[in-house]
Amino acid sequence: MNLHQFNRRTFLRGVGVSMALPWMESLPVWGDTSPASRPGSDAPVRMAVLFSGNGFHSQEWWAKGDGRQMELGKVLAPLNDFKSKLLFIRGLYNAEALKGNIHSSQTGNLLSGAPLASGGEIRSGTSVDQLLAQKCGQSTKVPSLVLGCEKSNPSVHKNYSMIYSSHISWSSPTTPTPLEIYPALAFDRLFKDGASRGDKSVLDAVISDASDLRRRISRNDQRKLDEYLDSVRDVELRLDSANKKGELQGWRPTLSKPNIPRPPEGIPQDIGEHMRLMADILVLGFQTDTTRITTLKLNNDHSSLRFPNLGVDYMIHHLLSHSDTADWLKVNQFFIEQVAYIARKLDSIQEGSRTLLDNTMMLFCSSMMSGNHNNDQLPVVVVGGGGGRIQGGRVLDYKDKPERQMCRLFLSLMDKMNVRPPQFGDASKPLDEV
Amino acid sequence: MAWLGGGLTATAANNSGVRSPRFFATQIQPLLTESCLKCHSREKHKGDLDLEQFSSVDAMRKEPRIWEEVASQVQSGEMPPRDSKTPSGAQRREFLAGVNAFLDDVAKSVAGDPGPVLLRRLSNAEYTYTVRDLTGVPSLDPVREFPADGASGEGFMNVGNSLVMSPSLISKYLDAAKEIAGHAILVPDGIRFSPHTSTRDWTDDLLSEIRALYREYTDPQGGDMVNLQGIVFSTNEGGRLPLEKYLLATFELRDKSRGTAADIDAVAKRQNLSPKYLALLFNRLRSTEASFLLDPMRAHWKTAGRTNVAALVNEVVPWQKALWKFSSVGHIGKAGGPKAWMEPVTPLVSRQELRLKLAPTNATQPVTVFLVVGNAGDGSDHDIAVWQKPRLVVKGRPDINLRDVPTVPQSNAGQLQALNPQRFGHNLDGTPSDPDDLVVQAPSVVSVRIPADLAAGAELVATGKLASGSGDEGSVQFQILTNQPTSGLALLETGATVSDAPGPWTSDRRRMTFASPIVVNDSSAARQRLDSAMGEFRQLFPAALCYTKIVPVDEVVTLTLFYREDDQLSRLMLDETQKRRLDRLWYELHFVTRDALTTLDGFEQLWQFATQDADPKVFEPLREPLKQKAAAFREVLTNSQPRHLDAVLAFANKAYRRPLSESEKLELRSLYERLRKEELSHEDAIRLTLARVFVAPAFLYHAETPFPGSRQGPVSSTELASRLSYLFWSSTPDDQLMAATEQDNLLNPVTLRRQTRRLMQDARVRRMATEFACAWLHIYNFNESGEKSERQFPTFPQLRGAMYEETVRFFTDFFQRDGSILEILDGDSTFLNEALARHYAIPGVAGEEWRRVDGIHRYGRGGVLGQASVLAQNSGASRTSPILRGNWISEVLLGEKLPRPPKDVPRLPEEEATAGLTMRELTERHSRDPRCAGCHVRIDAMGFSLESFDAIGRRRDHDLGNRVLDTRVKVMDGSEFEGADGLRQYLLNQRRDAFVQQFCRKLLGYALGRSVQLSDRPLLAEMRRRLAGNHYQVTAAIDVIVNSRQFREIRGRDFASAE
Repeated sequence: MNLHQFNRRTFLRGVGVSMALPWMESLPVWGDTSPASRPGSDAPVRMAVLFSGNGFHSQEWWAKGDGRQMELGKVLAPLNDFKSKLLFIRGLYNAEALKGNIHSSQTGNLLSGAPLASGGEIRSGTSVDQLLAQKCGQSTKVPSLVLGCEKSNPSVHKNYSMIYSSHISWSSPTTPTPLEIYPALAFDRLFKDGASRGDKSVLDAVISDASDLRRRISRNDQRKLDEYLDSVRDVELRLDSANKKGELQGWRPTLSKPNIPRPPEGIPQDIGEHMRLMADILVLGFQTDTTRITTLKLNNDHSSLRFPNLGVDYMIHHLLSHSDTADWLKVNQFFIEQVAYIARKLDSIQEGSRTLLDNTMMLFCSSMMSGNHNNDQLPVVVVGGGGGRIQGGRVLDYKDKPERQMCRLFLSLMDKMNVRPPQFGDASKPLDEV
Repeated sequence: MAWLGGGLTATAANNSGVRSPRFFATQIQPLLTESCLKCHSREKHKGDLDLEQFSSVDAMRKEPRIWEEVASQVQSGEMPPRDSKTPSGAQRREFLAGVNAFLDDVAKSVAGDPGPVLLRRLSNAEYTYTVRDLTGVPSLDPVREFPADGASGEGFMNVGNSLVMSPSLISKYLDAAKEIAGHAILVPDGIRFSPHTSTRDWTDDLLSEIRALYREYTDPQGGDMVNLQGIVFSTNEGGRLPLEKYLLATFELRDKSRGTAADIDAVAKRQNLSPKYLALLFNRLRSTEASFLLDPMRAHWKTAGRTNVAALVNEVVPWQKALWKFSSVGHIGKAGGPKAWMEPVTPLVSRQELRLKLAPTNATQPVTVFLVVGNAGDGSDHDIAVWQKPRLVVKGRPDINLRDVPTVPQSNAGQLQALNPQRFGHNLDGTPSDPDDLVVQAPSVVSVRIPADLAAGAELVATGKLASGSGDEGSVQFQILTNQPTSGLALLETGATVSDAPGPWTSDRRRMTFASPIVVNDSSAARQRLDSAMGEFRQLFPAALCYTKIVPVDEVVTLTLFYREDDQLSRLMLDETQKRRLDRLWYELHFVTRDALTTLDGFEQLWQFATQDADPKVFEPLREPLKQKAAAFREVLTNSQPRHLDAVLAFANKAYRRPLSESEKLELRSLYERLRKEELSHEDAIRLTLARVFVAPAFLYHAETPFPGSRQGPVSSTELASRLSYLFWSSTPDDQLMAATEQDNLLNPVTLRRQTRRLMQDARVRRMATEFACAWLHIYNFNESGEKSERQFPTFPQLRGAMYEETVRFFTDFFQRDGSILEILDGDSTFLNEALARHYAIPGVAGEEWRRVDGIHRYGRGGVLGQASVLAQNSGASRTSPILRGNWISEVLLGEKLPRPPKDVPRLPEEEATAGLTMRELTERHSRDPRCAGCHVRIDAMGFSLESFDAIGRRRDHDLGNRVLDTRVKVMDGSEFEGADGLRQYLLNQRRDAFVQQFCRKLLGYALGRSVQLSDRPLLAEMRRRLAGNHYQVTAAIDVIVNSRQFREIRGRDFASAE
């Protein structure tokens, strides 16, 4: 894809803003070009990306057979109920991620297939979720949510910034999208209409500051300042449109306002509770059609999380993931249980003839196959029907095939949302089978 | 491994060689052809690397970055790979020396390049510290829910490309800015910041500050209980004169000093007393000038000591009670009401009513009473007193004059005279007086025996006054007693009784009576004399110094929100500064609470309330003054508004770290106006304008103006000030640093050096300890680490904060003291509190407070390698990890670049206790795998030497499986040593160069906010040279940096395009 076909604004619009519009009033403002939500159309397709770091138990990540006969390895056991809505994909890989052979260099480009800069630089590529947010995020109040359950680690590891380890979503090649790890703030981003008197004047004022400053600084700095300028403009645009009344068009979601309370402030002590709250928010965003694109990073690659709740009282990185123990399996299943929890919730929500899960494509993947840093093939599962355009209950194997780029899968997924760039990362054609 | 790190120092001499025509052919080409071109040819260009393009030094010059990478890979041993034709050590050395000579040569030609320092947003830490320093409120934590910053460059969080911005982050900045602005208190002449955000809290803050000032010099005891419609409280509690303390101090001055002003000051300072009052009291007590009320006490003071200080105080207290009256303050100013909380009273009368109930013990025993007249202590001349019509009064029976009572006979003795009825009716000179009166010369005691039948149920009533001939000087005190007075008939304490009468308001009900007022003739000389003596006493011993309650609750409806009465405190105790401060606090209290306005509202309510069961007219005198006060306050409000806006501008000046331009000033003012037009209140508009400053790019970014053109040039002095303050404090320049930018003083090396020293010695350098040192050592925010097994190490969660604090204090002290960087490896002191000392088994540290502890080598500690933060960070959750520790020493401390781990890393068991072998044995087995050995041979041994520290940094001889530990090691370069001490010596001696180089590299990268680049090589060499020549004191390196072109200059505006 040629990145220059979008302006900077479009890149940044992919990032969720907390001062968003009142529910569903945004459509007429930007004009809605996405065919999926033309008047009278079907429920829109949603995309969720879930990630957990460090791969999985090397012997227990597998699936075989089709449809009801499909069998799942122990890691995937929690997804047993969803076999018919599940696509198990083996053998995809990301060529650029093979280069660094260290956690961060395998993660920062997972969703873009872009080359990662090392040394003092930070550069990846716009990720598939953020590209989608830029292309069709205007249809909803919040273009996309980028959520996480673990803080990022502020260091440089083997010449690669750990920013790469904690960010799979990138709004532009140089802008890793900040993750929201506070459940209450994620909830606010979806549902709080926070424009208060005077905000607009303040934003106007600082935009004029930035424009003045822009004239005085060097060209490289101008590019950096544009991050600021575009971010402020984006927030302001949303404030503007918050005041305009729009007409509802097309399909109506099954829920118009949140049916769960705002989560408590702070980060829950219990990691299970934390993930559960984020999962609830993800589902709520989809159900209310406040956003159609959500990325939930369950932990970092090179993670520091421990799981005392599972009786696994040590950090998973190195000491746990570099092994195939029963404890590691337990932790793997714990991650998959989060996927299953979301799938179950989505599947319980009826949208016309389909469930919300049928209208969703939930990609779950990791940055390596197992804890040994091997990423010549990536663990990938897609749950959900993508609006009836993905047929589940199948195992797709690309292991020994040419052209097994992960980016081909991204092209396929984007296609379900009617976004069809000629090229994405290192791929130019989708996977036919997906 | 002599060549490790050696290239940088050893080969600089060869620079001239680089220019020689044979250089490429002899130094570079042999190994290149033999070992590299097989894969990195033009055709194969494995890893996108074509080394065949280089056929001369000139060709190399076009791509120095490739050659930096080549040097790094060859140096680390990653290249050439083992399966290619392995070059000999000598070949390798030769090649590396050549490449490094070439790189040094290139570096020299571009030395001093400020480098690409991308526009930096304030990091979360910088933003927080800047906000705290600007507002002076250290509790602000605006980033608590911000996404964590990433690191870049040399591994720090102050590098532009890792500091991103996004719409969601802008929203967070806006919310945070409003929150910070919510802490702004608008005061009459500007703005200040408070830890709180509500008027209520600000009021409480001010009140507690005022009370603290009051408490400093007063006694919180004392007070009378009052019952207000069932609510019992003390009306005049607190604010008492702490006389005992001061008397004790006067004894000391009297006995142990010459009593000079300096002596007085010294004693006052030592005992936390007001020097002002101590001087006054001491001088009055030692003065010989006669003073009617003071003299008796003064006589006692001369010989009194600690044991009779209470008796001395007791001579003062009764008079304090008699000379002052306390009232409720809720209605001060109403007609007929009190004028103040504490008002002077004078127990002087011209006539006195006396009454005594007679209570016979049985029906036959006569009752004896004594009519006593004293001379009030001032001699008896002219003291001719009259008992006017003394009589027995019984309800329902005509009064019986004492003259007509058949008294029981008795005998005279001395002053005591039995009553003789013949004495009634004439003056002392025999001339007739009222027949019912008894005239006596004071002092006089007349005893009367009244038969029981007459006394029963009767009251003896009389009026006491001076006889008409007693003239100007008479002063007496009357008493009717049932017991014969034993003491002399000199001055009596007048006694004072406060009683409650019925009525709706406390202020109306309080009555004060005296048992023995002094009877003097109106406007007589005696009266004037006594008046002034009492006044003098009041001034020296006021009953209370100030009204500490401030908020009165002594009326059902009070008019006053905040009542100030502290004139005695100011007069006697406070110096001018303290007085000004007190005035200022009260001024702010009134401004913040706007009580002038609310009181006026309250007045109307009080009026309504009073009409229900009392006469409201008494409050009428209050109306006009309250109205005037409110009007005056409104004017103050209006006048203060422009000052608030001025204050925002002045604040922006600081927040932007440079003077505002005229258009910026104009813009801020017009934003305020615009917000007012949007119908925001003045306060809201001011706060939002302030919030705008906190979101402005000039605040959020380190925006520097590039030098015009394409060449580099110096930054302005204000920009340099910011570079300095963010280097040392992660925060904004303070006033002193900004002042140094005037007339570009800061550009002067002497000033620069002085400021650098000052900044480093300031407590704020603690932030450099976290942002630089802890980030470098990969233990940033270790206190939030949760990476230990709770089962194995249950004490860890309680200790991790202390572990981090130790390291932070260690480095703070290191910078402040200008320590040697070698102390990082083997310093013999650290900082401990009891909990951590116990963890380390270091004795003699008791208590929670942190202290420096020297001589820790003998406990096996020293430098960062002995600190629990580092040892625990580089361990597993439930076991040690020699690999992590060794790798940390290699990469973090020594700056070695290790090859990346192979795929399919073999596994190690997690549990130390249950594994069959020691961690060393297990690791050694693991590392024998040839795929792993390449790295592990470098790192493991160093890790093994630290095995005598467990996974949370405790000393141990056995591992968790109770196996004996072996810490003797042989490292890659052949050195052998044992344990942590051996490791320290090894690093300090054999590896010093590598460590110093790494320290310089990290410090430079942090100071510049970017990766170190080739052009920095000469600067790094200079840093190393200066360190070696200055006992490795850190300022040697820092001075090189702050004086470098890199630090003081900026690339030209068009540099990027020129590149």
